[in-house]
Amino acid sequence: MKISVLLEQRRLGWNELDKMCSSLEGIRFPFQRNGSLVARFSSLYRAACTDLSMAEQYQLPPATVEYLHRLVGRAHGLLYRSSRSSIERWVYYCTVITPQSIFRDVCVKVAFIVFFGLFTLSALLAWSEGTFPGYAERILGSEQIEQMENSFNRPLAGNFDQYVAMSGFYIQHNTSIGLQCFALGPLILPSLCALGYNGVVLGASFGYMTRSDVEQGDVFFQFVTAHGVFELTAIALSAAAGLRLGLGIFSTSGLLRMESFRLNAERALPIVLASIAMFFMAAFTEGFVSPSPLPYFAKASVAIFSSGLLMYYFVVLGYPTPPIQLALKHHEDNPWREIGGVHAAR
Amino acid sequence: MHATDAIDLNAFVTTPENVRFEYRIAGPFRRLPALILDFAVRGILFWILLILMALLGFVVRFSGGIAILLFLISWFALDWFYGLLFETFWNGQTPGKWLTKVRVISVDGRPINAYQATIRNFLRLADFAPMVSLELFSPDAPPMYVIPTFLVSLLCMTMTKRFQRLGDLAAGTMVVVTQRSWVPPHIKFDDPRVESLSGHIPANFRMTTTLAKAIALFVERRARIPNVRRQELAAYIAAPLLRQFNFRDDTSPDLLLCALYYREFIAKDAFLDSQSFASPPPNAPEHRSPTTDSKASAATISASPVAAPSIAAPPIAAPPPVLEPTPRSASDSGPPGKVSP
Repeated sequence: MKISVLLEQRRLGWNELDKMCSSLEGIRFPFQRNGSLVARFSSLYRAACTDLSMAEQYQLPPATVEYLHRLVGRAHGLLYRSSRSSIERWVYYCTVITPQSIFRDVCVKVAFIVFFGLFTLSALLAWSEGTFPGYAERILGSEQIEQMENSFNRPLAGNFDQYVAMSGFYIQHNTSIGLQCFALGPLILPSLCALGYNGVVLGASFGYMTRSDVEQGDVFFQFVTAHGVFELTAIALSAAAGLRLGLGIFSTSGLLRMESFRLNAERALPIVLASIAMFFMAAFTEGFVSPSPLPYFAKASVAIFSSGLLMYYFVVLGYPTPPIQLALKHHEDNPWREIGGVHAAR
Repeated sequence: MHATDAIDLNAFVTTPENVRFEYRIAGPFRRLPALILDFAVRGILFWILLILMALLGFVVRFSGGIAILLFLISWFALDWFYGLLFETFWNGQTPGKWLTKVRVISVDGRPINAYQATIRNFLRLADFAPMVSLELFSPDAPPMYVIPTFLVSLLCMTMTKRFQRLGDLAAGTMVVVTQRSWVPPHIKFDDPRVESLSGHIPANFRMTTTLAKAIALFVERRARIPNVRRQELAAYIAAPLLRQFNFRDDTSPDLLLCALYYREFIAKDAFLDSQSFASPPPNAPEHRSPTTDSKASAATISASPVAAPSIAAPPIAAPPPVLEPTPRSASDSGPPGKVSP
């Protein structure tokens, strides 16, 4: 058979595949309810694959080979899609994988020690006027302190509109900061600095407000008690996720550097997702409960309840260690990935 | 194909069908427009949201607070989840990527999943680092570090094989070009001289793969090359071949390459080894010079690709008519074998 005749014959199939690609692109699950379509498409795709693999033997012109590469690439992208994760998978991920990986993570421990250590230290220094006179003023700045005192002068009150709007603001503002902390993780230092800065400044504010001669202290604690648990934990967690990312580049534990980076990114993801969830919960508490004129008892109950929730999630759910978690040595082991999926050679 | 792995911009993927095909990788100059377009789309969406929420708050008047909440949440979502959602639900493309015809895929060729889209989009900020403050432009501006310099991502791209930025490395993804290539040109030669000249090429002449590729590249593009330049380019390959085949020196080099293309890619049997290509077309005139076959000056070769944009091919400057038949018999041509251009 002459090559030109062969090309003429094959061209029909290629054109059909090309047209199908164009019409199916942009649909998320193009073959979901159409068995005959997928059968036709895959047979055309296999034919094009065969033509491509035989191209050397047929001695097809280079432009045709190039065209076939593109065609097979397009069809491949349409035929092999990421599968939809089932509900059970997500539940498993949220209730088993996430708490366990967070509970066992060294970076989480380090981030918590750094954050709450600096927080406590800074609070103590700001509280005791005798040890370091002017510490709070130098950390926070007199303007900031004045502003803070002014905002807590009146007893807390508000209406529904304000509550809703403020929740939105806290979601947008605080979660963005948390995610920035995570995103800068590969560069390590910015992430650590953000964590330390937040610890020191928040600690200084708390310490300053605890002083007996500051009258606004009562209102301040009425405000911060309810949402503090979620928010402080969320800050520490987001930085921990960033640290986990950065650590992957330096401490490879025997893997290739890039493999280690990928694996650690995979391990950092549940941490940062948990921190986002917590930022959201903190935002709604801060929007609705904190500025409301509820008695202190109610707000303290909210704080205790949220601490209990975190304890249950991270400690009770996180403590048991099934073998799958310990065996997570390679990023392909991550349960998020499709199990038994096609592993194409790299 | 394998020899050029090291310097190519191609990533090879082996499919379950055991076929190795290549993707072209998108470099920074292709990805920057996509980024800018996405930024513009986000800006437009942001303003649409703002107007929508303002209408909701003032016109409907059920609650201004809820309108603000919705607005702030969607602002947050636009900032952090724009790329993630688009890439997850649109098979690795965002509007900007769609316009610039690039797509994100896994390094192993599979489409990306939600996890990979999350990682590579969350890490965007590290890739933009270090940020430059607004103070750079006017001393009165607030010290907001919002202008990205992309240094980290550029550094990362230069150091990796597949132009991956930090987020790509963490997620195991790469950005490839999805541009449809042109439909392969379907070359037909109207000029009968091509066919007849190809009959005079010694039967035992075998082309190397590289020579065949070079000739194909030339012939597929020759419709868009001016005639003088065409002859000049073709002469590089044709001159040694003319000597080897014992053809006349004034045979048009362009014509010779067309004849070689015809012999190699059109007339040859697809399944047989090229060694067994033997007999010239039976109607090939043995006694006449192929270059003087037809009305020499009037004949044109139009190797017009059927679907490719083609400029009318100018006529080949035909050599003056000659009287003597030039091609000698194939047996006394030089030793068959490799001819390197």
